[in-house]
Amino acid sequence: MKTLILGAGNLLLSDEGFGVHFIRYLEKHYTLHADVELFDAGTLGLMIGHKLEEADRVYIVDVVAAPGTPGTCIRYTKEDFLLQRIPIKLSPHQIGVQEMLLVSSLRGRCPEEIYLLGIIPCSLEPGTELSPPLQQRLPELAAQLVSELSAAAECPA
Amino acid sequence: MPRTITLDPVTRIEGHLRIDVEVDGDHVTKAWSSAQMWRGIEVILKGRDPQDAWTYAQRFCGVCTTVHAISSIRAVEHALKVEVPINAQLVRNIMIAQHSVQDHLVHFYHLTALDWVDIVSALKADPSKTAQLAQSLSPWPGNSGTEFKAVQDRLKAFVDGGKLGIFASGYWGHPAMKLAPEVNLMAVAHYLKAFDYQRKAAQAVAILGGKNPHIQNLVVGGVATAINLDNLATLNIERLAFMRTLMEEARDFVQQVYYPDVLALAAAYKEWFAIGAGVTNYLAVPEFPADTRSTRFGLGGGVITNGNLENIRVIKNHQDDYLLGNIQESVARAWYHGTDSLHPWKGVTEPNYTDFNADAKYSWCKAPRLEGQPVQVGPLAQILVSYAAGDARVRRLVDDANAQLGLTLKDYHSTMGRLLARGMRAHIMADLSLDSLDQLIANIASGDQTYANPISIPDGEFQGVGFHEAPRGCLSHWMVIKNRKIDNYQAVVPTTWNASPRDEKGVPGPYEASLVGNPVSDPEKPLEVLRTIHSFDPCIACAVHTIDPEGKPVTRIKVG
Repeated sequence: MKTLILGAGNLLLSDEGFGVHFIRYLEKHYTLHADVELFDAGTLGLMIGHKLEEADRVYIVDVVAAPGTPGTCIRYTKEDFLLQRIPIKLSPHQIGVQEMLLVSSLRGRCPEEIYLLGIIPCSLEPGTELSPPLQQRLPELAAQLVSELSAAAECPA
Repeated sequence: MPRTITLDPVTRIEGHLRIDVEVDGDHVTKAWSSAQMWRGIEVILKGRDPQDAWTYAQRFCGVCTTVHAISSIRAVEHALKVEVPINAQLVRNIMIAQHSVQDHLVHFYHLTALDWVDIVSALKADPSKTAQLAQSLSPWPGNSGTEFKAVQDRLKAFVDGGKLGIFASGYWGHPAMKLAPEVNLMAVAHYLKAFDYQRKAAQAVAILGGKNPHIQNLVVGGVATAINLDNLATLNIERLAFMRTLMEEARDFVQQVYYPDVLALAAAYKEWFAIGAGVTNYLAVPEFPADTRSTRFGLGGGVITNGNLENIRVIKNHQDDYLLGNIQESVARAWYHGTDSLHPWKGVTEPNYTDFNADAKYSWCKAPRLEGQPVQVGPLAQILVSYAAGDARVRRLVDDANAQLGLTLKDYHSTMGRLLARGMRAHIMADLSLDSLDQLIANIASGDQTYANPISIPDGEFQGVGFHEAPRGCLSHWMVIKNRKIDNYQAVVPTTWNASPRDEKGVPGPYEASLVGNPVSDPEKPLEVLRTIHSFDPCIACAVHTIDPEGKPVTRIKVG
């Protein structure tokens, strides 16, 4: 089973770049199984549609503007995306990663297992480093995901 | 009583553009275009090595990156009078043309089609009638009844399950939507298919560029692309053949799907040829240099004044004195210190943000002017200029479209004219990419192995400008070099021309002018305003993006 871990975000706006920092952290500290791909999606939006469609299972790591303590990770499933728990948009062509999922579904090519690991940011100010609370949470969240991947590897579906 | 509507942001993937329109009754009376984000890369570039500038400059944007790399490299080559070997010109030309193919495809289907196409109406279509219609428009093999039925079934499952997602917030059922259900279904199916073909075009650029977005293969004086037709370790004939296949597939989609769809849209919304003209001064620069000193070009350039095609000023090359001498940028209404209007080589970029004030400063965009006048740039400018200059390919496309749709050239000064011209440009770009590839292979086969004329930057002071006719229009990077370092850097990008705020005389820019008189049937749902703005392919670079799971409006429409 091919797993894609996709980090989205803008590296220039501190915690907004969490997804990309997350990918870099995994690359540096872990050696993952060959069928797990780490992908720095930056702010590419619809340009990464094919990456989603080529995987069987996708974890998207991104920041979410939800109320709560910074560093909290909220987990969303594919249903959450499809059931309109996404931003209200002015028009339907402002395409980011989450919109790309919907398009892939409509194309009949969206993988079944898709999770969004949404982190509540602390700061979106210009800067290339994470805020201290998120920097602190990073190793823990990485370890959690890696253990989930290992658990899944031990009990093949 | 006039009301003001604020649309912010207008685009998402391409950053922050805010449009304010004053509406009286059922039409726009005044408009303000405001760039909500400051680029600042010009300041970062000061003091750096001119030969490195292109790698920074292409970070102006996350989508149309190649264009800035090309302009930046050309600025250094112009400043130091560097010749570019023919192989390098051709490699660049392929990337430029193929990037345009991708960009125009994405614009039409993914950034604007849903302003005109009602997805929900597609559910009412008869798939076999849709197939008949599509087959009457094009020989494309993907237009089968089975294909349209499959798309409709998936769409129906989505709508029934309440899963329309992003599409749920579209302007479906808006009174300005008027395509027949079958046309809507055809367009939705092509919208979904277009993702595959934009990717093929992007992949072709990546094969030459090493990476896309943000190509890696440029060097001042040429390209750093390792091509050896027989060597497995380099770009070889097998790799080039693969690239050709991608480019041919993209061409077929553009010419047999995108272009016929544009014509169908234009026929159904003919009234939009009378809306959205705005500024009818146009500028396009020549593109696709065909020799080492860039004196001959595949497509011509010129200036049109007040829509008069009888008397255009031809721009023969990128050293044109008129062009070099007559561009200025005004900061009278932009968030920079002072009120000066300066030539880009003398340009100053000192930010000074004050709040949005429609009567004073209100945008991060400077106001570029040519001989003091606002100018529209983009595919429409290039098509009109090339038509007036007698370009055979352009004439054929325009004359055929005019006969089919009952248009004259005057109709092109419009919202729909911009969409149609972009379709024509994509049509030409698809062919040009392949022509350039043929020429490259022939030139290599003839024994030419030169890809770059390496240089070192001499002491002293130099100034250069790199012009490039990009997918969104005339782009220029202006560079001053002093003692081997960058002393000043200014980019006048296509969207600076088009999204320009008012200038020191209060004259509006092209977006602003194009919206005056634009219909608005429902101020809460200003779809018609989006149509006109999106027809320019707006791009205010660099996206900020945060997912908002509580469903708070990321975009706001404020009616005041």
